Amino acid sequence: MADPITVALVGNPNAGKSTLFNALSGLRQRIGNYPGVTVEMTKGEFSADGTTVSLIDLPGTYSLAARSPDEMVAVDLLLGRRPEEPRPSVVVSIVDATNLDRHLYLTSQLLDLGVPVVVAVNMIDAAAAQGLTFNYAKLSESLGVPVVPIQANNGTGLAQLTTAIRTAAGQTAPHGPAFPVAFDQVAEQLQKELSDEIPTFLVRRAIIDIGGYTEQWLIERYGARLKSALIGARDKLATAGHAVPGVEARTRFAWVRTAVAAAVTKPAVRPVTWTDRIDNVLTNRVWGTLVFLLVMFLMFQSIFLWAKPLMDLIGSGQDTVAKGVEGAMPSGPLRALLVDGIIKGVGGVLVFLPQIMILFGFIAVLEDCGYMARAAFLMDRVMSRCGLSGKSFIPMLSSVACAIPGVMAARVIENRRDRLATILVAPLMSCSARLPVYILLIGAFIARPGSPGWLPGVVLFAMYMIGFTVAPLVALALKRTLLRGAPPVFVMELPNYRRPKFTSVLRRMGGAGWAFTLRAGTIILMAMILVWAALYFPFTDANGESYPERVEKAEDAVKENAEKLNALKEKDEKSKEEPAEGEPAPPQLTDDEKAELEKLEEAAALPDKLNGEWKRGSALGRVGLWMEPVFKPLGWDWKIGVAAMASFPAREVIVGTFGILYDVGEVDTKAIGNKNADAEAKEKVAGLTKAVQDDWSKDPVRGKYGVPVALSIMVFFALCCQCAATLAVIKRETGSWLWPSFTFVYMTALAYVGAFLTFQIGRFIVG
Amino acid sequence: MLVPLDMVRAGEWADVEEVTGQADWVGRLAELGIRQGSRVQVVQPGATCLLNVAGCKLCLRGGECSQILVRPVAG
Repeated sequence: MADPITVALVGNPNAGKSTLFNALSGLRQRIGNYPGVTVEMTKGEFSADGTTVSLIDLPGTYSLAARSPDEMVAVDLLLGRRPEEPRPSVVVSIVDATNLDRHLYLTSQLLDLGVPVVVAVNMIDAAAAQGLTFNYAKLSESLGVPVVPIQANNGTGLAQLTTAIRTAAGQTAPHGPAFPVAFDQVAEQLQKELSDEIPTFLVRRAIIDIGGYTEQWLIERYGARLKSALIGARDKLATAGHAVPGVEARTRFAWVRTAVAAAVTKPAVRPVTWTDRIDNVLTNRVWGTLVFLLVMFLMFQSIFLWAKPLMDLIGSGQDTVAKGVEGAMPSGPLRALLVDGIIKGVGGVLVFLPQIMILFGFIAVLEDCGYMARAAFLMDRVMSRCGLSGKSFIPMLSSVACAIPGVMAARVIENRRDRLATILVAPLMSCSARLPVYILLIGAFIARPGSPGWLPGVVLFAMYMIGFTVAPLVALALKRTLLRGAPPVFVMELPNYRRPKFTSVLRRMGGAGWAFTLRAGTIILMAMILVWAALYFPFTDANGESYPERVEKAEDAVKENAEKLNALKEKDEKSKEEPAEGEPAPPQLTDDEKAELEKLEEAAALPDKLNGEWKRGSALGRVGLWMEPVFKPLGWDWKIGVAAMASFPAREVIVGTFGILYDVGEVDTKAIGNKNADAEAKEKVAGLTKAVQDDWSKDPVRGKYGVPVALSIMVFFALCCQCAATLAVIKRETGSWLWPSFTFVYMTALAYVGAFLTFQIGRFIVG
Repeated sequence: MLVPLDMVRAGEWADVEEVTGQADWVGRLAELGIRQGSRVQVVQPGATCLLNVAGCKLCLRGGECSQILVRPVAG
């Protein structure tokens, strides 16, 4: 049994790094997080002839010139400066055979690290198709390290690669290309001025990377003295004719060119590849845009079509479990916590999973086949107007379905500021959970008899347009203020098309689902339980009687008398019918029966009424009552305020809360705007619409200004971040509580101002 | 004749003579193969343009292209 070795996998984006990683480590993977940065590194393990090899997959990069803390993690890890990880014993540099000139640049930097390096030349099939021939022995000789040709997606050469890795471990480290003597002298002198613990590699990087992360870090550590030393060093190099940063590119590329010239034979004329032919269509302004729109349309159609049955399944599963628990436990706070807090909360987490996984399946396919870069290229012109790049398009568009997969999809954006701006504005897009709110309020106040038939559609469209216009504006504002910085260097490579690998797509889907459930799910669950408690406690009325018990008793009474009530109702209805000609008048209700019917109907409404009384007296209800002055400028009363506050963990809750507060009982959100909902659920929705209308008509403000109030609620919901799940995901994706807090505050403020303006302007127009 | 890269028309080739601008940006472009002496083809000009650099397609912004000075190659 040999000693275990640690191997780091480094390569340019699109070099096939993840494919190689998956091929080597199979299913034994886990994701490593690093404090303070947003990067994740996947770690895996495999054994070869009794040697345990742990493999670290570093983020794809074009060079080791770190510009941000995120990029520095990889460099530190390779130098053994991360306390969480041992220093790699071997670095595998994976390069693309069809583009050796550029990929070997990074290899030349890796040779300076002082660690044995093995070069894996990937995609030899594509290179052969382009007519390239290689002399690997010669290449290995000029680079000074072992070179192994591989085809990662079908496993060719992997055995030779593992052998080369095991042989390389423990051997002497190679040397990179020789820099001009003047550079070595300057670097040596600077090293002397610093303490010994700064590796030579970093000292040299600090000289080369003007304004880079190493420079910032060293200046922070050594102060202005180092800054002047650096400037002096760079001046000296410039006078010697080796100005930075050009000296690095010249030195390394000259070295790469010599190595490639000796080992690679290229055909005189580069053949037109498949990628070129496909690109003629897909990057065309007209045809490419059409194809892109078609792809997006198909993607969202499938998300809605495929996710819906799964989401319904999760919903009904949740109902079944809730019913089971209700049947098996005596009523009381514990049962209510289980049923209304935990089971509903878990359901509320799981219900997002189908959408997230389907979207990530699509993203994985589009990225792996190389189309994503083309889409970003096409959309860049539009997105650059709001200070973002084409890569922000898919996350923003995904947020129309749901902000959670949208925020997670922002992972494809490498630029940290762009990624943050995208994440922060994604929740402004009108997601599908806002739809029931819009439909309910439009149904109650906009689509009144007498109003034009096109109006509801226009209002709904306007609500979606709020998101589409405000999100880019906020993005622009953020990029100009909070997230301001040197304009991001937007350079993007359009990789060659290749066939996506099924297993890697599945892996991405699973990873996204798992990350969401595990890390965001717990926070969502907690938020749901908190609001449940705020609406549940205190649960005794003025006489010290328990509301849940009273409700249950009232419900039992309703059940007992249901048949009697129905019979009486039927008779009553019949008695009002006009008798057909020649037939006797239908029997009328006796006075006793009339009194009984009235009593029973009242009893039937009692559970809903008690529930309303209880929620109004609950902690949240009381806070709402106390906060009424805050809601007043929006045209709201405390009921609307409480419903809006109760909806902060999940906005679709408002419909149900409205139902409880307006004494019509729990209303199923799914029944709104759904033609296939069962009759009872539809009746509840109609009842709620009517109850809201009735309640408002009694009030001087809302009676006269019903439409502005309804619009003000809709605008509030359009702009507010009423979704604990989104906030939890933002926390998880940005790694800090700062950004979800910021999102919550700015969106709530925006929503308040928006609702305020809507109501005040509406009131002015109504007169 | 030296011209900025954004003035080269679609399909034309050019040799890069000088990349100006922030050191960070110059360094990044050099890593990607756009540096003095390299030959590039403008596949698609515009606000976001598409370049062919050593058989590899790169896209960058038109405004940034104006910082790359090139010598168009005849033919």
